Amino acid sequence: MIRSLLKGAIGPRDNDSRFLLDVHRRDLPGEDTMCRYGDADEVDMCIVGAGAGGSVLAQRLARAGWRIVIIEAGPFWHPDEDWVSDEAGSHDLYWTQKRIIGGADPIELGKNNSGRGVGGSMVHYAGYCPRFHPSDFRTASVDGVGADWPISYDELRPHYEMVERELPVAGQDWPWGFPHKYPFSPHPVSEAASVLWRGAIARGIKMRVGPVGIVNGTFGNRPHCIYRGWCLQGCKVNAKASPYVTHLPDALAHRVEIRAGCMAARIEIGPGGRASGVTYIREDEHAERMQRARFVAVAGYSIETPRLLLNSASRCFPHGLCNNEDQVGRYEMVQGATQSAGRFATELRMYKAPPPQVSSEDFYETDASRGFARGFSIQTVSPQPIGWAEHVLADGHWGRALREYMRDYNHWTTVGVLNELLPHPDNRVTLAAETDPYGLPVARFDYTLGGNDKANMAYSATVIKDLLDAAGAQDVLTIQRFAHLVGGARMGTSPDNSVVDANQRTWAVPNLFVADGSVCPTQGSANPALTIMALASRLAGRITSGAAMTRADR
Amino acid sequence: MAPDRAGPAAGRDLSKPHHLPNLRPGREPPDKSWLQGQRRGTTPQMIGRYPDFDVLASSASWDEATTKVVLARLHLADQFRFFAAGELATLRAFCDVTVAQDGEPRVPVPEMIDAKLAAGRLDGYQYDGMPDDRDAWHLVLTGLDEVAEDRYGQPTFAACDADAREAIVGDLARAQLSGGSWEQLNVKRAWSVCMRMILAAFYSHPWAWNEIGFGGPAYPRGYMRLGPVSTLEPFESAGATSEDPARIDAGDGA
Repeated sequence: MIRSLLKGAIGPRDNDSRFLLDVHRRDLPGEDTMCRYGDADEVDMCIVGAGAGGSVLAQRLARAGWRIVIIEAGPFWHPDEDWVSDEAGSHDLYWTQKRIIGGADPIELGKNNSGRGVGGSMVHYAGYCPRFHPSDFRTASVDGVGADWPISYDELRPHYEMVERELPVAGQDWPWGFPHKYPFSPHPVSEAASVLWRGAIARGIKMRVGPVGIVNGTFGNRPHCIYRGWCLQGCKVNAKASPYVTHLPDALAHRVEIRAGCMAARIEIGPGGRASGVTYIREDEHAERMQRARFVAVAGYSIETPRLLLNSASRCFPHGLCNNEDQVGRYEMVQGATQSAGRFATELRMYKAPPPQVSSEDFYETDASRGFARGFSIQTVSPQPIGWAEHVLADGHWGRALREYMRDYNHWTTVGVLNELLPHPDNRVTLAAETDPYGLPVARFDYTLGGNDKANMAYSATVIKDLLDAAGAQDVLTIQRFAHLVGGARMGTSPDNSVVDANQRTWAVPNLFVADGSVCPTQGSANPALTIMALASRLAGRITSGAAMTRADR
Repeated sequence: MAPDRAGPAAGRDLSKPHHLPNLRPGREPPDKSWLQGQRRGTTPQMIGRYPDFDVLASSASWDEATTKVVLARLHLADQFRFFAAGELATLRAFCDVTVAQDGEPRVPVPEMIDAKLAAGRLDGYQYDGMPDDRDAWHLVLTGLDEVAEDRYGQPTFAACDADAREAIVGDLARAQLSGGSWEQLNVKRAWSVCMRMILAAFYSHPWAWNEIGFGGPAYPRGYMRLGPVSTLEPFESAGATSEDPARIDAGDGA
């Protein structure tokens, strides 16, 4: 009751990031005065990766007095100068170092799902921030597929609520999964998304506005969204949430050092089988350095985290760190992300307003009548010209036909799905024969769809086609694609089914944690950013309370 | 000219989808004569649907970093660093066919691709069984020349007539090329490697934005007209053509 009265005004506790930002500059405040630790200075924790997981973990632990260094491969952004309101010009936001993709259904990486630089992939995510459903944590028990998490929804719920206040998330009251409210009201809906919504209403599909991590009201020094629609190119307004604005300002104010432009080469294991620090290479010098640390947390996301573990082989771990049970890199997951665009009589100009607007989780849970387990969500999206060209190409058009469809861009609007695709041990990250410019073997990601996955994707494609028909679309173009990554170092109940325990601590090394989406045993049909942050927030609490520590480390 | 911009006539012209390839015989678009010539600013081949829209006219409202990146595309060096001189004719012909640039003014797609490949700005993934994207480009150009010689007795792809070029690219798009250089490639993936670079170049150019009526960069100024009353900003203009699409539908277009 009090919260609903205060809607739009309530702020998170224990995180001052929103007040630390400068209204007139987008730079991360505190970069110049940031704490600097020596390599030989044994810090409390060295975190690899300044994205959704690493940043939240650092901010929480720094508040508890921990001395922390974050090693980040990509650049320390200066958004006013580095980010542009332009698709092709945003190339540097993505992890564009080489990776090999294989399997029967190779997954395109780069701009599709991989970030690089301070703030991680959330710098260029669309902004959708749905929670997982309670059922996502028990798919093996309830649906007979996937895996059960060693933790329940209830353990993550307070952290979902906390992170939603920090981003802050705007959206309608949410009726699906565990019903909940959002701290900020839903944003206005563009005509392009409204057309889709009308189609959904005609087909009896329930849709809701949001949930998006985009400011819709007064929130410290973070401005209100200006509906320019360039969320995927890095928000130059500071309205869209990413760790760069939500957690790292507070982290720097609490003596965290972000060492950008530094590629982690391997985790060092000292006497007694404990991690002693992280060896890394600065991009401007090519010599190896090693940051000593009492604890190490890997948060490089689902490709680079397994890669770093596999590249950290030693005499005790000949097949890669924490990989004596052959679990590292397995159960890598993506979501099916088919998008269908419909043509309408009037100009809709879908590039206006943020791409994430209205979504539905009506099809999220298993419905036996559909003939497959688990389900999918439906979300509006809105490709800009290059994305639209790829969409048209995928329907088989090039040359004059492609130009004709491109000229029709303003008459189109786009709806997508996110299919829950099931974890499989052979969908895996391994090391390729090729090396990167630092001489480190690059990752190879093999991916093959299963029968349930294909059935889910095929069914969902008919649902959005039907939605577009109901909306009155005059022509429909469809592109089959994939989005998001999780898994690769999953949490489980024993070393023979997972890499980390319920506290995200590796089974093999007592002071080594994994703090990103790699730990997820399943991924539901929800965009993973919020869950990755909530997991890191929970992990920080378990570390500071001692619950996640060995007796010796408490 | 405000009444023309959003007037009812302009809206009615384009309300029907008859010009869309999927709805036409052979999935062929109408002849470009149904389009209006550009009256303001530049479009590729000076055709488009927004004859009075020039996105560059609003560039004063863009932030400095964006302006620099976008305007640089208008002044590209014409020196090639990645492709060899002997590859350029085929490269140009291939890029022209894939995005139907059959005359001036052209978006300088080959120059943009050369700059990207020379700088090693790749996309972050390489299909198993495919060479590095840079090697794939060389192999595709060689392969196109090989097909030109085998099928048409021409020394290069560039030397083929327009119909032959279209036919060869059509076979590449359907992954129906084999032998010679194509054996070192997965042809389907090679098409995707080339096209994602060609499309990213072409549709990053402000002339192409003029052609499709895209409002362009929007920072620090955002958008105000999200609908439903109108989706047009004051600086944008509604689409228009020189011909009634119903007549296109009657079959005089293709």
